Amino acid sequence: MNKGIHGIDRKKLIAKIAVFATLASLFIFVFLPSFFLISFTFTKWPDVYTEVFANPFIGDTNWIEIQKHLALSLRLAFFAVMLDLLFGIPLAYLLARKKFWGKGFLEDLITFTLVIPTSGFGFATVLTWTTTSGLGYLIGRGIVDIDFLIPLINVPFMMLIVHIALTFPYIVRTLQAKLEDLEPVFEQASRTLGAFPLTTFRKIVFPLTLPAIFSGGVLAFARSLGETGATMVVSSIYTTAPIAVIRWVSQFKFGSASFLGCLLIVVASAVILPVEFVLQKRGGPTFRFFSIRRIEKKILKTEKFVSRRLSRIKDVISLIFILLIVILPIIIVLNSVALSWSHDPDTGRVEGSVLYQLFGPSNYFASLLKATMVSFASAFVATYVATCIAIPTVFLIERHRLGRFIRSMLRIPLIVPTSALGLSILLLWGPGGLKLVNPGVWLIVLTHIVFSVPVVVEPIIATFEGSEIPMFEGAARTLGATPYNTMETISLPLLKRGILTGFILSFTRSLGETGATFLVMGSDVTIPPLVVNMVEALAIPAALFASTYLIALSFVLLLVFRMVTKR
Amino acid sequence: MPDVKMLNVTKTFDKGRIVAVDHVDLFVHDKEYLTLLGPSGCGKTTTLRMVAGLVEPDEGEIYIGEGRVSGLPPEDRDIGYVFQQYALFPHMDVWDNVTYGPLVKGWNEKKSEGIGREMLELVRLYERTDAFPRELSGGMQQRIALARALAAGAKLLLLDEPLGALDAKIRNELRYELRKLVKDLELTAIHVTHDQGEAMAISDRIAVMRKGKILQVGTPQELYMKPQHLFVAHFIGESNFLEGYVSKVTKKETVIELRGGLMVRTLDKTHKEDDKVVIAVRPEVLTIEKGKKEGVNSLFGQVEKFRFEGTNTRCEIRFENGDSAVVVRPALMTEWLDVGEKVTVSFPVEKSFVFPYPKRGLREELTLE
Repeated sequence: MNKGIHGIDRKKLIAKIAVFATLASLFIFVFLPSFFLISFTFTKWPDVYTEVFANPFIGDTNWIEIQKHLALSLRLAFFAVMLDLLFGIPLAYLLARKKFWGKGFLEDLITFTLVIPTSGFGFATVLTWTTTSGLGYLIGRGIVDIDFLIPLINVPFMMLIVHIALTFPYIVRTLQAKLEDLEPVFEQASRTLGAFPLTTFRKIVFPLTLPAIFSGGVLAFARSLGETGATMVVSSIYTTAPIAVIRWVSQFKFGSASFLGCLLIVVASAVILPVEFVLQKRGGPTFRFFSIRRIEKKILKTEKFVSRRLSRIKDVISLIFILLIVILPIIIVLNSVALSWSHDPDTGRVEGSVLYQLFGPSNYFASLLKATMVSFASAFVATYVATCIAIPTVFLIERHRLGRFIRSMLRIPLIVPTSALGLSILLLWGPGGLKLVNPGVWLIVLTHIVFSVPVVVEPIIATFEGSEIPMFEGAARTLGATPYNTMETISLPLLKRGILTGFILSFTRSLGETGATFLVMGSDVTIPPLVVNMVEALAIPAALFASTYLIALSFVLLLVFRMVTKR
Repeated sequence: MPDVKMLNVTKTFDKGRIVAVDHVDLFVHDKEYLTLLGPSGCGKTTTLRMVAGLVEPDEGEIYIGEGRVSGLPPEDRDIGYVFQQYALFPHMDVWDNVTYGPLVKGWNEKKSEGIGREMLELVRLYERTDAFPRELSGGMQQRIALARALAAGAKLLLLDEPLGALDAKIRNELRYELRKLVKDLELTAIHVTHDQGEAMAISDRIAVMRKGKILQVGTPQELYMKPQHLFVAHFIGESNFLEGYVSKVTKKETVIELRGGLMVRTLDKTHKEDDKVVIAVRPEVLTIEKGKKEGVNSLFGQVEKFRFEGTNTRCEIRFENGDSAVVVRPALMTEWLDVGEKVTVSFPVEKSFVFPYPKRGLREELTLE
């Protein structure tokens, strides 16, 4: 009897320790770095204040700069998300509801821009729009100048294009998943009651998928706000907030950098968390203001016209959109590499060739090889550690009373712009703070763990909630399995697919991360910053090769991702 | 005048590998209540969905009233469609659901409110206009779905297993309500179900389908009294099947030899001597007597099972030749029989159906798959 009671006590103790260890690692590796920048700014407020608002030499110039950069970032993110919605919603609808030849390929292309390290893709986009190697070939000069500012909205064209390409998959994928879950019977019912396809979309599909559209929009917004790799490549004379953070850190202006980083975190949270909160409530908001009769009739007429005349056009537009912003840049990079492989295609000089730059005096091939090693090593270690933290975290989220709270807290590392995160890590573990780790591979790993944990957690939760694990666990327990047995033989095997998906998503994200890595890498350069450096050093053939290399790498990752996620 | 005509309609799925509907011809009269009846996977729902325009046929033509509707989207066919899972819009309350059709058709407010109210009163749920679908029971939801389909003003009502998701008792109540409504409003209705009891109770005519083909169309009585197909005899009501050969054909009757040399007389006129045939006899036309009695169409056997089922008794008999048959008699008019007891089973000459022996075997022919 005594033994029995002892046994229970020991089990409880082990459970307590497990919960504590999970919470502690979450706190140390994930939450602390996310929030440290804010506390740092508060504790160093006098210094920060002096540097930002009352610099003895330049006054509040830094503050004015901060406002300018932040405003650009917000405008950019806003318009990118708006255009994402415009093109993404029809595309998601097309993918979810229609069967057509090449659909699998189209889906792969959309995943592709999620996995590609963005700096390489940014370079491909620049090539496509601003040079004669790209679309400019048709008119003999670049379609736009790299610093072309779109009038009225004051957003640089190149930045907008690149941000759309990198963020629209978030909308398409979340909405597509939701649409595939939504029984087509509602749409059919609406059609049989006399509603045109577009009316059906407005009154039935849109309200029912609004939560998915919102959460896709939130992810896209966050990604745009924090995007660094591609943005640096296309930035020209413009500076977004994340770029400013990196630039100021390299100039040792920590006060301005950390203040801007803080603002980024606060703004991202202020925009995103309320939306998330509303969405957490069942059903989401319903819109009734469309129901005004007189306008309604006019809308119906337009919808009838559009449904009748333009139904194919929206599909065609979606496809042209993909062609322009995803396929074309890839083709153009590949073509340019081929053209300048052994000599410069314009001047014929060997010095301007890919081969010369790779193996010549500057020996970019060696740097690329080294960067690959660093990238893979740090991505693997970070993802591995993150997965080890994520698995118990999922069980904590599903079983513990703190679960919901932890889940919403885990949204924060995802929305903190990575350059702010890098700065935070630098000031926490690095030479600026506890002096535990110097910039280099290990600091990269610590940084990547922060956003990798939530990236791994999400697919595992999705698998958990989709597979009735509690039922199977219950069955195992009634057959005499201990909790540990159950975990080992039932829960983990059932979660395998989710864990693998999370691992790969996190690995690719880590491989492509630029903003934070720039600040914490020291001399251990990873591939994406290397591409940025090549572009800034105007080593164009080398950048071309590196971009091709990244694209090839992404295709391999995509293939692995497909193998894992296909049922 | 919404009569519905389907001419040579075919639909395949999976690049032609699955033939869902196979060259079907069907005519539904104006104001008729027609049921498509068949086991699951027989193509009845696909047929209905083609009438609605939710699925386009590969071949053939469909007419609603005078107009050819092939290629027309569902919203232009002027139909009401009731789905098995109700498909009430979850984000709208009852009122918005019911007035959805009038709204999207751009009718004026007075007219749509009038018809919405009328239809909700018709299904006796006017007091629940503010409720959301999830707050209503299955039966209520299906009545709202019906009101919604009717409110759109269509004269052709298409019902896809509308009672399939409901409890048995509610299902029985609602089927009469449904028929009354259709008749009162003078609608044409096409109803899909796999429940033969429901089909018999509700329909003017029934079309029995199997494997994408319509086997027989007729009133419930016709299908029961004069099944023209082995499968129809099996699927509508119940039948005992006995295999045999035609041994003699006379002007008056056909004599069939069963296994073991047992002779049975029928009024069948369609077969010639030596044809292999199957005789179908309803369990409820068989009479049963204790002991061995001689007579026309009398077969001797032993009681294998005897069950009391409330209204009826059900008795399984094994004949001398090894064949077996089920006899169903009203419980109040039946003697209690013991297992193993010797009995005589007989049936009137005019109460049997004779079918040619199916090429792919009897068991295969009767399978519901």
